[in-house]
Amino acid sequence: MSTTVEELDDDSPVHPGEHHDHGPGNRTYFTIFWILVAITALEVSTYFWSSWFGDGSHYPAVALLVVMMIVKFILIASFFMHLRFDSKLLGRIFYFGLAVAVIIYVVALATMNIFTDNGNPWFNDPPPVVTTTTVAGTGG
Amino acid sequence: MADIALESIEDVEFPDDIHETSTGISNSKLAMWVYLASDCMLFGGLISTYLLYKNRPGSIPGLAGSPVKASELFNIPFTSMTSFILLMSSLTMVLAVNSIMAGDTKRMRLWLTSTCVLGGLFLAGQVYEFTEFVNEGLGFTSNVSASAFYTLTGFHGAHVAVGIIVLLSAVGFSFRKRLDAEAVEVLGLYWHFVDIVWVVIFAIVYLIP
Repeated sequence: MSTTVEELDDDSPVHPGEHHDHGPGNRTYFTIFWILVAITALEVSTYFWSSWFGDGSHYPAVALLVVMMIVKFILIASFFMHLRFDSKLLGRIFYFGLAVAVIIYVVALATMNIFTDNGNPWFNDPPPVVTTTTVAGTGG
Repeated sequence: MADIALESIEDVEFPDDIHETSTGISNSKLAMWVYLASDCMLFGGLISTYLLYKNRPGSIPGLAGSPVKASELFNIPFTSMTSFILLMSSLTMVLAVNSIMAGDTKRMRLWLTSTCVLGGLFLAGQVYEFTEFVNEGLGFTSNVSASAFYTLTGFHGAHVAVGIIVLLSAVGFSFRKRLDAEAVEVLGLYWHFVDIVWVVIFAIVYLIP
């Protein structure tokens, strides 16, 4: 007797419902690529915003850069890495690892006052200035 | 069919893209994703360290260290070009995966070789950038900020170098034996991850002042 995968239910060793075909065709990949190129070009342009629009553009530029970085990240992971078309388990594993990393390091950086940087050129207090003193000999 | 006897599982006909594992996912692909998730921690740590020290060269006036920061030496148009090259290598990689899935080994070799060439160009750009920085007086041990920068970008470069070696090995192997489509897909995951990491480094390290 031969049983096909489609006949297995959700308790079976394989989960047909979680697996999809391997992704889109080349045309979709080219479309995603050109979107990524356009976003990258916009990202690079933000570097020159302060000279074009003045210092007031600093914070909008940073916010936009973070948003564009996340969009590029998701596009590559979803389409080029097939997360959108593959088993959801793989996406959960990857995004869980990513979320743990982001949370841990944001908290770590916050405890080190990175978001309230006061311009101190040293991470901690500057080391004490080393002074050399000559001790006069006491021996007779 | 919930009452399938255990012994009849052996008779199940699995389609090519569904594997006989408890998750239905091949072990190699699952292992690669777990590795990539753990690599997020590595690069997260390196990026955080750079952020922590980028404005704190740690030089002690009159005693030691260079006051020059890596961010003062960035050549954004040049780095944008190398970023574009790496992005293009992701496209050629995904085309290689599609080719092998269509059973076209010749075209897969072409795209994999293109990916290696583009990766090599990216590495060459990184070597050029490092050389320029050293010529400007910013070496690995010049100050803490420089060490953090070189460690971060150097680790990424090492990942690219490993990727190139593995991809070239795959191309060489394909002349002896037909490559498994899934093996190329797993290699592709690694390569795209390297690209994703650069997306983050380029934005956070190079573009955010």
